[in-house]
Amino acid sequence: MALVFLVLPIVAIFARVPPGELVSALGTDAAKDALIVTAKTNAVSMLLILAFGTPTAYWIATRSSRLRDLAVTLVELPLVLPPAVAGIGLLAAFGRLGLLGGSIEWLGIDIAFTQTAVVLAVTFVASPFYVRTAVSAFESVDPTLPAAARTLGAGPARVFGRISLPLAAGGLGAGAALAFARGIGEFGATIMFAGSLQGTTQTLSLAIYEQFDLDFDVALAISAVLVAISGGVLLSVKVLTRWRSGSTSPIPFAPTTRTSG
Amino acid sequence: MRRALAALALALVVAVSVAAGAGARSEATGPLTVYAAASLTEVFRVFDGGQNYNFAGSNALEAQIRNGAPADVFASAAPLNTQRLFRAGIVDKPVTFTANRLALILPKSNPAGIRSVYDLRSKPVKLVVAAPGVPVGRYTLTVLRKLGLSGVLSKVVSRESDVKAVTGKVALGQADAGFVYVTDARPVSDQVTVVRIPAWAQPRVRYEIAVVSRSSNKAAAQAWVKAILSARGQTALKDAGFLPIPKAAS
Repeated sequence: MALVFLVLPIVAIFARVPPGELVSALGTDAAKDALIVTAKTNAVSMLLILAFGTPTAYWIATRSSRLRDLAVTLVELPLVLPPAVAGIGLLAAFGRLGLLGGSIEWLGIDIAFTQTAVVLAVTFVASPFYVRTAVSAFESVDPTLPAAARTLGAGPARVFGRISLPLAAGGLGAGAALAFARGIGEFGATIMFAGSLQGTTQTLSLAIYEQFDLDFDVALAISAVLVAISGGVLLSVKVLTRWRSGSTSPIPFAPTTRTSG
Repeated sequence: MRRALAALALALVVAVSVAAGAGARSEATGPLTVYAAASLTEVFRVFDGGQNYNFAGSNALEAQIRNGAPADVFASAAPLNTQRLFRAGIVDKPVTFTANRLALILPKSNPAGIRSVYDLRSKPVKLVVAAPGVPVGRYTLTVLRKLGLSGVLSKVVSRESDVKAVTGKVALGQADAGFVYVTDARPVSDQVTVVRIPAWAQPRVRYEIAVVSRSSNKAAAQAWVKAILSARGQTALKDAGFLPIPKAAS
C-alpha cells in the first residue's frame, strides 16, 4: 500500500501527457535552457565536491573518534537542514550585504544572481551526501592494508592514492551519485540565493516551478526528465554498491569478520 | 488490478486526510480560505475573522484553484486571472475591489546610484522583476514600454514568482533595483528607497475578487467579499496605500 502511494505520483506524471507531447514540450526554449543551466552548474558543483570532498572525507575518516564525530556532525547538518534555511544561510554569508559579501565584491567577484550562486547553492546542499558516504567508504577500508603499505615504505600520499582510494572507490562513486541526484533537484536554496532567470540561473526545478502556471505540459515534461535522471542515478548506485562489496571481499588477508559500511 | 491499486491509493489518501483533520472542511462553519495576490499580504491580514490565507502570485493561485485547490475566495492583482476562472465556470462573477500603482525600489545603500527610472538605462544595474506570467511582471513590461525603457530588460538578473520575492531581493540588497507595487514598499520602508514612476507611465492595475463556485462556505465567502467592498474595507485598503475602485470599472 505504501508502495502504491509512493509510485502513483510518478506514474501520474507520465500518464497525464502522451509521450509524443512530452518530447515536444521538452523542445521549448525554457526546457532546453534549463537543461543546459542544470548540466553546467551541476558539472562544476560535482568537480568541486569531488576535489574538496574526497580529501576532507579521508581526513575525517582517519581522525580520532571524538574529532571524527564532531566533523561528521558538521557535515551532516546541511544534509538535514530545510532548503529554505540553506538559502537564508547562503544569503547571510555570501549575499552582497552578508558576512563575506563585502570582501567578495572587493575581490571583484560577482556572485549575486550568477551561475556562481547556483553552483554555491548546489554544492552546499549536495556535498554532504558525498562526504558522508565517502567517510564511511574510507572507514570500511581494512586498516591493516594502509598500515602494511606504510611499513613497506610508502608515503602517506602514496598510501592514499594506491591503497585507500582504489579500495573506497565503489563507496565514493555511490556517494557521488547521491550528491548528483540531490544537486540536480536543488530548488529552495537556489531560488532564494540565485534567483531565477531563464538561460542563466533557471535550473530544471526552477523551470518546473515557473512553468507550473504557464504551461502545465512543459512542467510535466521537465518533471519526467528529472524522474528519469534520478531513477538512473539510483540504479547506478545499486550497481556500484554491489560492485564495491564484490571487489573488497576477495582480498586474501582481510579478516573475514570485518563488516562493511 | 488497476482498480485495486487505485482503490488502495484512494484508501491511503482518505486515511491521511482523516488523520490530518481535513474532514472538518465539509462543515460550512469552518474558517474561510482566501487565496490572495501576494501584494495583499499585509492589508488582508487586517481583516480579522480567522481566515486561512494563501498569498502568492495571482497566476500561481489561478493554477492551484484550477487544479482543485480548496479556496473559498480568490483575490487577484489582475482581472485576467479571475476572468479566466470565471469563463471556465470555476468562480462566480468577479468584482473590482481596489487598484494600485507601480514604483521602482532600491536598497537604502543604493549601490547602483540610481536617482530616476531613466538611470536604469545608463547605469550598470542588477534589476529584478516578476516573471511575465505574474500580474506585476506584466505591469512592469507596460511601464517600461511607456517609458521607452524596454531595453533595460537586458539588465534583468532574476524573474521572481511574486512581488514579495522581488521586494525581498531588493530589501536584502541582493538586487540594485526592482519593480513592485507602491504598497509593497511601505512595509519595508526602512530598507528601501522608492523611486516614483510618473502617472502617465502607470499601467491600469485593477484588483478583482471572486467567490469560488464550489465553495462549501459560500455565504461566509460572499459576506467577506462584501466586507472588502464596504466603506470600512475600502478605508483599510486606502490606508495601506491602495487606490480607490476606478470609476469606469465599478
